[in-house]
Amino acid sequence: MTDVDWLSYSLQDFLMFGPQVFPRLFIRLNQDIWPWQLLIVPLALVVPWWMCRPAPALRRLAVWLVAAAWIGSGAGFLVRYFGEINWPAVWFGWAFVAQGLLMAGLGTFCRLKAIPKGRAGAFSGLWLTSVVVLPWVPVLQSGELAALAVFGLTPDVTLAASSLVLAMMPRVLLWSLLPIPLFWVLFSAATYWALQMVWLLLLPAATLIVFALCFWLSPSSARSRDRQSVHRDPVRR
Amino acid sequence: MAVRLTRRQLLIGAGISAVALKSPGLFADLADGTAASPISRTIPSTSESVPAIGMGTWITFNVGSDADLIESRTEVLKTFLDRGGSVVDCSPMYGTSADNLGKALNALQAHDQVFAATKIWTADESATRAQAESSRNRWGVARFDLLQVHNLLGWRGHLETLKEMKARGEFRYLGITTSHGRRHDELARIMATEPLDFVQLTYNVLDREAESKLLGLARERGIAVMVNRPFQGSALFRRVQSETLPPWSAEAGISSWAEFFLKFVISHPAVTCAIPATSQVAHMQQNMAAMYGELPSESLRQRMATFVRSL
Ligand SMILES: NC(=O)c1ccc[n+]([C@@H]2O[C@H](COP(=O)([O-])OP(=O)(O)OC[C@H]3O[C@@H](n4cnc5c(N)ncnc54)[C@H](OP(=O)(O)O)[C@@H]3O)[C@@H](O)[C@H]2O)c1
Repeated sequence: MTDVDWLSYSLQDFLMFGPQVFPRLFIRLNQDIWPWQLLIVPLALVVPWWMCRPAPALRRLAVWLVAAAWIGSGAGFLVRYFGEINWPAVWFGWAFVAQGLLMAGLGTFCRLKAIPKGRAGAFSGLWLTSVVVLPWVPVLQSGELAALAVFGLTPDVTLAASSLVLAMMPRVLLWSLLPIPLFWVLFSAATYWALQMVWLLLLPAATLIVFALCFWLSPSSARSRDRQSVHRDPVRR
Repeated sequence: MAVRLTRRQLLIGAGISAVALKSPGLFADLADGTAASPISRTIPSTSESVPAIGMGTWITFNVGSDADLIESRTEVLKTFLDRGGSVVDCSPMYGTSADNLGKALNALQAHDQVFAATKIWTADESATRAQAESSRNRWGVARFDLLQVHNLLGWRGHLETLKEMKARGEFRYLGITTSHGRRHDELARIMATEPLDFVQLTYNVLDREAESKLLGLARERGIAVMVNRPFQGSALFRRVQSETLPPWSAEAGISSWAEFFLKFVISHPAVTCAIPATSQVAHMQQNMAAMYGELPSESLRQRMATFVRSL
């Protein structure tokens, strides 16, 4: 059996691709998918409104949209584009798809409380920051306008924004939804660090900040250990 | 021993001298006005000559299916070949590098101009032949010149199969690789007992562990040495980024840091070739310039190493 002296490896040794290639993934994806961005971005902007409405059906729709965003960025960006040059991205891609399916299931069968009225503004502000401001980070890094990271198409922005929705989930379910986002945050931060693309580190950092803020924003059911929140949605019965 | 040259080997050999005619710009630099030929080295097991600067593909050719970047890497390969290069190293570990190398070779119709070297990289010791065949298809070459066991992974099983394949003429040279100074003792044992034509290891102006045992052993055993990470994966350039070349480096006709680092490597008498990787045509031009002109003497080499260590 071959002994591997892992201590002799640095983070850079695991990097299979160069800094020139990574921003090109965003550019190519945007070129290939155009003009669907014109539909996807407005849809992403509606999510906070749906999440704050009293009607559970709209919240369910919002969760499905976020679930679709996970599936889209996993199967698209991660498996199809990033996976070509970096094998672990393929595993993450399928994990994103699984997470999307799980979220869709939870959105269908669990009752999500509406965002408390007084916090709807903060929720919407954070959401809009995630889907409108964060997409510019790869542009800032690469100097290429076409490298815009669109919600639902690319993993970091999708994750940062949807951590708002994750934090709204009943806490007992939240734990099942946390491992994949946390592993991705670690993996992407390590990758950007190894690539020396320091601006991109804003993306995992923003995800963690948004997620932390969400605990404060979430309805009391998410913050308490009240297991009663894990009920079937009465509206569906 | 009579060595029968294939059309491709003839082309590589002819290329080494023909490049002198093709690239007048390179030779205008020479002080005495005479046209120099590229520095080449012989492979001890056959006395075949190969150019002393080859090309690596780790990271640089792993650009996925990005058509723009594949085109730019094709230009890098073209520059390499135009300036007399032929040894190209790859591995199944390098993502899409082999596919893109294949595309570049195809675009340039240059399969005959390269000394094709790849590796076997799998822990499954029964998959040697299948992986070699898969790599051959990805490159689009008729056969490999050199197959190496990558990082000693599963070396016992792979070497057995590779020896059989070589005996049947399925490829020409047998090798094994390591890097970053890892597992030199085990490599030395393999070099001492196995019929290797090539060994690939890390050697550069700062990483000189190979000098203590492996390079001497390679000479003793008649094993060609291919050097990876000649720039320490670009760390050497970062080390000297605010430095100007010392004036005495002109003694070996050195006019850039790339030449400084590469001439240090290829001037070691045991070294057959260095395989720097680059994604840029301008860098390839600098790297290939190291294959022309003078090489540093032993005393100058020591001075070079001391200088870089002191920075
Ligand atoms: N175990 C193994 O078998 C093993 C291990 C390591 C490497 N290898 C082989 O050895 C090859 C070389 O090693 P490596 O690629 O790790 O490291 P390397 O050749 O020492 O360094 C490559 C780096 O140097 C930069 N560079 C190249 N020419 C330059 C120039 N003229 N000026 C400034 N920067 C320059 C490149 O950047 P640019 O792209 O910007 O030029 C690239 O980042 C590999 O590609 C691979 O084929 C084998």
